[in-house]
Amino acid sequence: MSSKFGYQSQYRREFNVVVLGAGGVGKSCLTAQFVHNEWVENYDPTIEDSYRAQINVDGREVVLEILDTAGTDQFVAMRDLYMKTGQGFLLVFSITSRDSLRELEMLREEIIRIKDDENVPIVIVGNKKDLEHQRTVDRAQAFAISQLWQAPYYESSARTRSNVDEVFVDLCRQMLRRRDDTNDDTRDDIYYQKAADPLAPKKKRKKTHTERHRRCVVL
Amino acid sequence: MAMLSSQPARSSLYVAPLTLQKSKTESYDNASDMSVASSDRYSQCEITPPTTPNGSQEDLGAQVDPAPVFHNFLRAFYPFDPGYAMSDATVTLPLNEGDVVLVHSIHTNGWADGTLLVSGARGWLPTNYCEAYDPEEMRNLLKALLNFWDLMRSTSINDREIFGSQEFMKGIIGGVRFLLERTHCLTRESAVVQRHDALRRSRKSLLSELSSLVKTAKRLQEAQKMVDPEEEINNIVDEMILKAFRIVTKGVRFLDTLQDDSRSQIPTVAVITAVMEEAYVPPTPPAESTAFDADHGAATDASSRVGENVNVAEPALSEPNQATQSLLATGKRLSSAYLSGTNTHRLSQATPLLVNRLSSTVSHRVSLAGPSPSSGLQNLISERVNSCHDIFLSHLGSFIGRLQLQSQSRPLLALAVKQSVTSGGQLLVVIDIVSARNPVSVEALNLSRAAMYDRIQNLMQTARDILSHNEPEMEGVIVPQDNDRLLGAATGCVKATGDCVAKTRWVIERIGDFEFEFDNGSIGFDIDLSALDLIAEGREGSNTFETASIAGSNASEAPTTTTTISAVSSAASRSKNLSIDKPLPEVPAITSPIEEMPEPHHSPPTSRPQSIVDDGASSMVSSVASLRHALPPLPRISTSIHPVDDYSPIEPSVSQESEFHSFRSDSMTTSSTGSGSGSASTYVSRDSELSIVSQTSTRATTPDITAGPKNQPSLSDISVAGSSTQTEVDDVESKLLEKTYAHELMFNNEGQIIGGSLAALIERLTSHESTPDAMFVSTFYLTFRLFCTPLKLAEALVDRFDYVGETPHVAAPVRLRTYNVFKGWLESHWRHDVDREALALIKNFAEFKLNPILPSAGKRLIELTDKFSSVNKSLVPRFGSIGKTPSPITPFKPTDTTPYPSPIITKSQINALASWKAGGSSPSILDFDELEIARQLTVKQMTLFCAIMPDELLGSKWTKGKGADSPNVKAMSSFTTSLSNLVADTILQFSEVKKRATVIKHWIKIANQCLGLQNYDALMAITCALTDTSIKRLKLTWDTVSFKRREMLRTLQSIIDFNGNYKVLRARLHTHVPSCLPFLGMFLTDLTFVDVGNPAIRTSDTGLTVINFDKHTRTAKSIGELQRFQIPYRLTELPDLQEWLAAQVERVREKDNAGTNAQVSHYRKSLLLEPRETQHLQTPNDANGVFSWMRGNSSGHGLPAQI
Repeated sequence: MSSKFGYQSQYRREFNVVVLGAGGVGKSCLTAQFVHNEWVENYDPTIEDSYRAQINVDGREVVLEILDTAGTDQFVAMRDLYMKTGQGFLLVFSITSRDSLRELEMLREEIIRIKDDENVPIVIVGNKKDLEHQRTVDRAQAFAISQLWQAPYYESSARTRSNVDEVFVDLCRQMLRRRDDTNDDTRDDIYYQKAADPLAPKKKRKKTHTERHRRCVVL
Repeated sequence: MAMLSSQPARSSLYVAPLTLQKSKTESYDNASDMSVASSDRYSQCEITPPTTPNGSQEDLGAQVDPAPVFHNFLRAFYPFDPGYAMSDATVTLPLNEGDVVLVHSIHTNGWADGTLLVSGARGWLPTNYCEAYDPEEMRNLLKALLNFWDLMRSTSINDREIFGSQEFMKGIIGGVRFLLERTHCLTRESAVVQRHDALRRSRKSLLSELSSLVKTAKRLQEAQKMVDPEEEINNIVDEMILKAFRIVTKGVRFLDTLQDDSRSQIPTVAVITAVMEEAYVPPTPPAESTAFDADHGAATDASSRVGENVNVAEPALSEPNQATQSLLATGKRLSSAYLSGTNTHRLSQATPLLVNRLSSTVSHRVSLAGPSPSSGLQNLISERVNSCHDIFLSHLGSFIGRLQLQSQSRPLLALAVKQSVTSGGQLLVVIDIVSARNPVSVEALNLSRAAMYDRIQNLMQTARDILSHNEPEMEGVIVPQDNDRLLGAATGCVKATGDCVAKTRWVIERIGDFEFEFDNGSIGFDIDLSALDLIAEGREGSNTFETASIAGSNASEAPTTTTTISAVSSAASRSKNLSIDKPLPEVPAITSPIEEMPEPHHSPPTSRPQSIVDDGASSMVSSVASLRHALPPLPRISTSIHPVDDYSPIEPSVSQESEFHSFRSDSMTTSSTGSGSGSASTYVSRDSELSIVSQTSTRATTPDITAGPKNQPSLSDISVAGSSTQTEVDDVESKLLEKTYAHELMFNNEGQIIGGSLAALIERLTSHESTPDAMFVSTFYLTFRLFCTPLKLAEALVDRFDYVGETPHVAAPVRLRTYNVFKGWLESHWRHDVDREALALIKNFAEFKLNPILPSAGKRLIELTDKFSSVNKSLVPRFGSIGKTPSPITPFKPTDTTPYPSPIITKSQINALASWKAGGSSPSILDFDELEIARQLTVKQMTLFCAIMPDELLGSKWTKGKGADSPNVKAMSSFTTSLSNLVADTILQFSEVKKRATVIKHWIKIANQCLGLQNYDALMAITCALTDTSIKRLKLTWDTVSFKRREMLRTLQSIIDFNGNYKVLRARLHTHVPSCLPFLGMFLTDLTFVDVGNPAIRTSDTGLTVINFDKHTRTAKSIGELQRFQIPYRLTELPDLQEWLAAQVERVREKDNAGTNAQVSHYRKSLLLEPRETQHLQTPNDANGVFSWMRGNSSGHGLPAQI
């Protein structure tokens, strides 16, 4: 499914995915599960492609660079940087914590503000579904927010590795669709050039809104 | 005589392989053609041949399926003979059924690169002849061997840390222990062992092998203390690997024995087979072997038919066929045998069937044909084979090494050849003993033995031709072609010997390992003598008898008689083998067309490699004598050492024409012995001296030859093992009985512990053999609370203290170390809040267990526990030492005496600060020099950074419970965030574009200075703020900032770029030396992912679930890296400026804490200062008022702007 790979090939579809969520919702578990091959016993997060993963989405090979602020939630200033770089966002909360869901609202606002785009690809993830007995967030609630934000909702469990790949694949589909629509094949990773040169045209802003296929996933 | 009449038939059989070797391609083709033809003729036989192994080489490559799963060990279930000549570029290993192979890699075509454990030879082998070998009982041992191999092969030899201790031995010992435990054979007294002799012997041989390895390992340790240990160590390491292989081989054999044994409890159906077989098993092996041989064809026929029947009717039949076994070798020569005529067709045709059947019936015969219980002697034949093989290989190795060095002097080469041939002879003697032991399968053995002999002869001739026929002026120079020839000959020897030894082992495996026994041999002894007498007649070797016997008696000054029997029996067996060997007389005649050989026809029965045998025998006697000091006079035996005449034609002929003194003197010794003119004692001593000399010279001249110098130690090893095996075995037994959890440890390729049970980890921590690795100890102290509770740790330590009592010889050091672990814990790693639950237990332990044994230690421990129980609080500062830095804040003792850089601060700046402190207006950030601001920020941040305790960083603590358990981590990250906010705040406070631009420029310069100070944390904070959306969008402001500054910012950004997992930043940190302040967030992310990405437990190959210590090692490593930078800067702190900075940071922090999201308020302000060009952004239909902040409500904008 996912696999690490080298940094060699030039032509590829590459996206930055930002994983966001309150502390303790298991978002880093989700990331680790996704980028970390199951058969690799020792995970070393300090090497260059520790957070890179290649997945196949509808027959297209996509490379994802996962940006996870795990452990640095206190460094709020960094979040801006991450968000600017991100092309798709996983908003993770824990179904055992209402507060963690509430936190997503703030994060989503920030994304929209920073990306200056309210149609940015987002997937809402209710993690820890293995802890059903501790659930405090109803599915109905989560679906309501999913409707409101026009973003698909998944319930996952990093521990049992259920729906882990699915959320990333869904996000990939959204990002691919956007890229296809806009024919924008350049990676938006030269943000700092824009920062230094605010006169640079903002491509995304003027973009026509395409019809989005948002849906809820019944689990 | 019967034996004579049987010769012609066989000679035809044996000619073939020898002639074949001359033209390998031809034989190859012929072989495959033949196999096609013969399969037509014997098409009925096609029902039973195994499907997988292919008869011809050609098919093999194409049809082998790639192994889907990689198995570390394979076992051949079918013999395989490469058939290629040895000069092939790729080495293809011959396989015997039952051989276990350590696999290095498997090619997709199905060929595996593997090392044959039985011989240590490495090469290609077909995996379809093998099956995965991984019996549960052996699993630990196999795993241990794998680790051992990796360790020995991958580690730098001078790595004292690994070899300095005997820790690396524990895996093997543990593996053996596990095997014995699983098979209920741990103690000699166990019922299973008592019941079965074969098992007992097998067990003993396993243990003695282990003991030998342990001893070698000790030598390795000693060798390390030598001045220039490398070469010696290399040799020892090689030796150890071979020994480890052998241990596993014996383990395999042991298990086989056991399994066969249990299988034999079940009645077998193969009565007919058994009966038939019995008929062909001669009651007195040596005498009737020939008769048996004569009936060979018939037996084969019968057994093959039986084999077929049985195969169809009952595949799992567990009755082996000795006749079949004897044919095994013949079968291996399949292709060559075809060439020798129709007679052999049937033989070879039948063989595969039988062989196939054999795979299910390994060595059941042991109990039948095995020797009677031994008389307490431990001189196991398998050991002898191994050691002789070792020696021979090492001699050959040194010879080959000399050749490769080129331009070697001929005397030295000649000496090497001589040594090789001599040791080869020794090996042959031992092999003969084996074949004498089991006359039934002697056929198989003799073939390869003949091949080996042939090779040795070949080597000798080649050497003689080359070395002696050289022109005098060419002396000392060997031309390359000759070199190649010699090389070819030597390699040929290695190969043939490997094959022969493998077969010998195979035979031993079937007949059971045995000691040189006397009582058994007595039957064959008379026959031997008569046979020998017969041989001796017409020979002029009578003098030799004397000589040898004198040699024996001379050597036996020491009155010990323990080895008498073994010596006698060895000689007896040797003499037995001589008669056995008679069936193979023509080999020398064919293979060594040496003109000089006198009377080649004189006594056909003895024209077999007597020279070698004799040489080997005598030198064996001498070596045994010199090493054991316990050789009894053996006049009778010496009679068997007659055929020196066979020897002399070869050897002296070399020496006659050679001008090399060493060689000549050696052969002179030999020949003088032959003629009886030399003194026997001289002979003995000369010989041993010579061998020592030669070893020395080998060492001096060929440093790269690893095998060379091995000889002496292993020789002495044998003798020691021989004479005192019982005590050795006892020693090993006690080692085995030593309770250990070593098998519960898991290592990676670098020999680092990656997993283990608590007990195993503690055992490691308190090892008696060495001081444990510092990294391991600090990791353990730092992280143990993550994988066990303090109480459990204390219990495990107490348990360790207790159970080591069962092994008195190591108890003392282990108990001391156990105490040290407690002491270290209480003194430097005690965390009273969580650890106090263990206090009572520790105190109890100190008083009632430690005190009686180690009073002073007990007293100290009681003191320590008292301290904590009375104060009820941690007295000890929470130093989380991690080896390198015992305390996070090390008092800075600069070796560097340069003064601190003088602060850049003006009078007016000082005054401004003073007035601010007095309540006046606050100065602006612009009022201060950018370098000084950077310095003061750095001093402040470093203070926070240095305060971070290692255990705050464990288990993602700082992300939990709002970081209550990680106050210093929290303080640090909070300061960094506040610094970011301060940057934004100072920029946004000005409504004038130009002022904002000035502040931006100033911060860029400060950030640049931070980079200069290697303060990446501040660099990150400031750069992030400057590129924050709220600031970045201020287009008008940025337009005013010079291109130069914008470029500078861009450079700074590229450094802190998180793409590629902070690639740039990591690379920089890697090369930096303190003082340096890394970006804390990167470490926090790493630690988080180490924590969540690695499971807490791992499962070993043996299915055991253990602590994933690797996870904790990684954690500790990351923390250690962080601690590397916990060294304060050499910068002067300016209290007033610090105070002002703190006040600014505090101000923005309060705003942040007040509930207003700093990011949001900054953005609002930014919008106010430079409104959007177009009111484009749509407001989503959010009922929740998500974007309410964007719609008006600017009331909160009255922000203080006093900077």
